[in-house]
Amino acid sequence: MTRALGWLAALGLALGLVMAFGVAPREVTQGNVQRIMYVHVPSVWVAYLAFAVVFAASVAYLWKRAQAADRVAHASAEVGVIFTGVTIATGSIWGKPTWGTWWTWDARLTSVAILFVLYLGYLLLRKMIEDRDRGARFAAVVGIIAALDIPLVHFSVVWWRTLHQPPSLMKPGPATMPPVIVAALLVNFVAFTLLYAYFVAKRTRLLRREEELAA
Amino acid sequence: MPDHWGFVAAAYGLALVVLGGYWRHLLRRERELEALEARAEGDRRGSPGSGRVQ
Repeated sequence: MTRALGWLAALGLALGLVMAFGVAPREVTQGNVQRIMYVHVPSVWVAYLAFAVVFAASVAYLWKRAQAADRVAHASAEVGVIFTGVTIATGSIWGKPTWGTWWTWDARLTSVAILFVLYLGYLLLRKMIEDRDRGARFAAVVGIIAALDIPLVHFSVVWWRTLHQPPSLMKPGPATMPPVIVAALLVNFVAFTLLYAYFVAKRTRLLRREEELAA
Repeated sequence: MPDHWGFVAAAYGLALVVLGGYWRHLLRRERELEALEARAEGDRRGSPGSGRVQ
């Protein structure tokens, strides 16, 4: 199952590259540098998804005390941090030629940086507490509280005046982009989601094996 | 506006390095755990309490 997910993700990513460079047209205002969007936006979508899964799994753990839910939360947080890192780095690379700066402390960039630090803290907390159940309990509480930053990140460009553009997708109303660009973006959304599912499935299984060995 | 292909290559290259690096990290951890499991299995079989080796 995990191996099949891996192959599907690889296939999806290859198709995503074809869509981003072969099918999607050169954007009129920004030129070809706009193609960074096909890796930047799916990365932040996966980060949202990953931390939403951490939230749900943390609630499930506190409610049922199921070890499996805790392992999913742990794995999803780790993968979410990786994709948030990719989001910040690719956004910074995109920002330099379009905004003239690598970084600015506007509401969107700052709230994403906070999201990154919050979940890094979540992972550090898990490593610091030796008692497994206590660590899982504390991490679940942090995983629930930290999720409050997700809507803040997404709506920051609506609520405050920012250098970052407002959302073109994942907003009320129809997409404001040409259909071919939306299609290329959607293919990459699916590919990145499959990659996320593959990483989480693999990491969750490794966490279970680590616990069995330690027992 | 100029195309800035260098920035495009940097963004995709960086994503490839980070995601590929994480994938390799998972595979390496999997191999480490397999080795540890094999050693633990060997220890169990070799222990006097197992009844197989005297």
